[in-house]
Amino acid sequence: MKFLKDLWYLFVRHMMKTLRMPLWLFIGLMQPVLYLLLYMPLLKNMSGGAGIPADEIAKMFVPGMLVVMAMGQLFAGFSFIDEIRVGIIARWLVSPASRLSIILSLVGSQKITLFLQASLLVFIAFLFGLHVPVLGLVLTMVMVLLVGVAMASLSYAISLATKDESALASITNTFYLPIMLLSGIMLPISVAPQWIKTAALFNPFYYAVEGARCLFDGDYGNTMVLKGFGVVIALCVLMIWLALRALKKMAA
Amino acid sequence: MDIILQTNKLTKTFAGKGRQKKKVEAVKGVDLQVHKGEIFGFLGPNGAGKTTTLNMLTTLLAPTSGEATVVGHDLLKNPQKVREHIGYVSQAGGADTSATAKENLVLQSRLYGIPSAEAFKKAEMLIDRFQMKEFGDRKARTYSGGQRRRLDLALGIVHKPVLVFLDEPTTGLDPQSRAYFWEEIKRLKNDGMTVFLTTHYLEEADNLCDRVAIIDHGEIVAVDTTQQLKKQIGAESITVGFSNDAATEKAKAALSGQKFIEKLFPQENKLHLYVQDGGSLMPEVLRILDKENIQVQTIGLSKPSLDDVFLQKTGRSLREAGV
Repeated sequence: MKFLKDLWYLFVRHMMKTLRMPLWLFIGLMQPVLYLLLYMPLLKNMSGGAGIPADEIAKMFVPGMLVVMAMGQLFAGFSFIDEIRVGIIARWLVSPASRLSIILSLVGSQKITLFLQASLLVFIAFLFGLHVPVLGLVLTMVMVLLVGVAMASLSYAISLATKDESALASITNTFYLPIMLLSGIMLPISVAPQWIKTAALFNPFYYAVEGARCLFDGDYGNTMVLKGFGVVIALCVLMIWLALRALKKMAA
Repeated sequence: MDIILQTNKLTKTFAGKGRQKKKVEAVKGVDLQVHKGEIFGFLGPNGAGKTTTLNMLTTLLAPTSGEATVVGHDLLKNPQKVREHIGYVSQAGGADTSATAKENLVLQSRLYGIPSAEAFKKAEMLIDRFQMKEFGDRKARTYSGGQRRRLDLALGIVHKPVLVFLDEPTTGLDPQSRAYFWEEIKRLKNDGMTVFLTTHYLEEADNLCDRVAIIDHGEIVAVDTTQQLKKQIGAESITVGFSNDAATEKAKAALSGQKFIEKLFPQENKLHLYVQDGGSLMPEVLRILDKENIQVQTIGLSKPSLDDVFLQKTGRSLREAGV
C-alpha cells in the first residue's frame, strides 16, 4: 500500500537525520535527568519535617514529568521550518507521496526520541525508589506518546501556517506555561484553590496527568483513566487533521 | 502540434493581510498553451506572478478560479494523476541537505513508487549523468551552489516526467554553471521532455526557449517565439539619451512624424527608435535633433532584444524591473 510505503521511507529518512545529529538527542535526554536530580529532591522536604516517603513522591511526580516531556514536542516544528524554507516539503507535495504519510512520518519519528527520553526518566526514577505495576507503566507510556503525537502535530501545523521560527516560538511559549501549570504537573491540582480546579477542567492535559497518576497507582478502573485516554485521543485526531490541512495549504 | 498544458482564465487572488484587507490579484486570468516537446519560457520581473502560476500548475496551490489541463489530466479534479507525470524543481531547490545525493535520489524514486532495486540503479545513473560522482556520497550540505543545483535537477526527473517545471533554474549561479545548466536543459528536451521554465534573465529565454510568454502584473502580455517577438518590433533599435525631460519631450515631438521610424518609445530620459537600417539612419536622427537645437547625450545602436519587447509591452525595462 502506497501510504504505508511512503510512511516507512519518510520515517527512515527522518530517523537518519536525527541520528546524524546526536547532540540534539543528548540535549533532549539531559532534560529529564535534570528535572529528577534538581527538582525532585525539593519535594522530599516539602511537607513539614516528617516528609513523604520517596516512593510516594516519585509516584506523584513522575507521571507529571512524563507529560511535561511529551508537551515538549510542541517544539518539534523548529527544525521543520528550515525544511519548508529549502523546499523539501514542496518537493514531496508535488510528488504523489501520501500527504498523511508526510505528517505521520514526522510525528512518528519524534515519538522515538520521546520514547527514549521517557524510558530514561523512568529508569532513573527506579533508582530513586519508584515502584510501579508493569501494566500501569506500559499504559502510561502509551498515554505519554499520544500526548506527544498531539503536541508535535500542533507544532507542525503552526510551522506550516507561519513558516517562521519566531512566530512559532512566541505562540508556543504563550501557551506552554499556562497549560503546563494548569495540568497539575508539578503538584496535584487537588491541593489547589477552587478556581484553579475549575480552570483545570478545561485543560486536556489535566486529564492526561491525572489518568497517568491513577495508572501508576494501579487504579485502572478509575474514570480518570478512561477520561484521560478519551481526551488525548480526541486531541490527537484534531491536531493531525490541523497539520494535514496546513500541509495542503502550505503554498498559499 | 500536441498540447501538453493548457490553462483557461487561471486566476489566483490572495486574501489581503493587515487592517485594510486589500486583496492581492497575483494572477489574473492567464491563458497558456504549451506544446509537447518544446522549451517554454515564462518571462517576467520578480513579483509578476510567475511562481504563483507555477505553484498552481504543479498542484501546490489551488486556483481561485479558472481551469487547467496538465499532461492530459484535469488539474483540479485529478491532481494525483498530474503529480505522477510532472517533475518540478523549485527556486529553493528542495534537496535534503542532511542526506547525500544518492540518498536523496533513492528516496525520491521511492516516493514515485519506483521499486528499491530500480531506485538504486536510477540514482547511480543520474549521479553519472550530472557528473556528481566526486561528491555524490557526501552530504548535500557541503555542496557548492552549482553542485546543489545539479542534484535539484536530478531529483526533478527521477521518474522520467513528460513535463518538467523549472522555477528560476539558474538564479544565483556563476556564468560557468549557468552555461552547464543550459546544456542540461537542452538535453532534457532532446530526451523528449517538455520543459516549462520561469526566468527573469533575458539571455536565458533567448538562448533556451522555443517560445516565451511575457507576464507582468499577473497578466500575459505576449506569447510567441523569441524571433517573432523581436521581429514585431523592427529590425534595429536606436537609443538616444538626453540630459532632462524637457529635451526628451522636444525630441519626441521632432521625431514622431518621421516616416523611417517604425516605432518610438520614450523611457525616462531616453528615446527608443525602432527602424529598419539603423546604421545609415543614425546620422539622420542626429541631424534632425541638431536642427531643433536639442542636446544629445548618448546615442547607441542595437539589435532588438527581448528587453525591447518587454519595454514595449509593459512600458518598463526588465533589466530595471528584475532583481
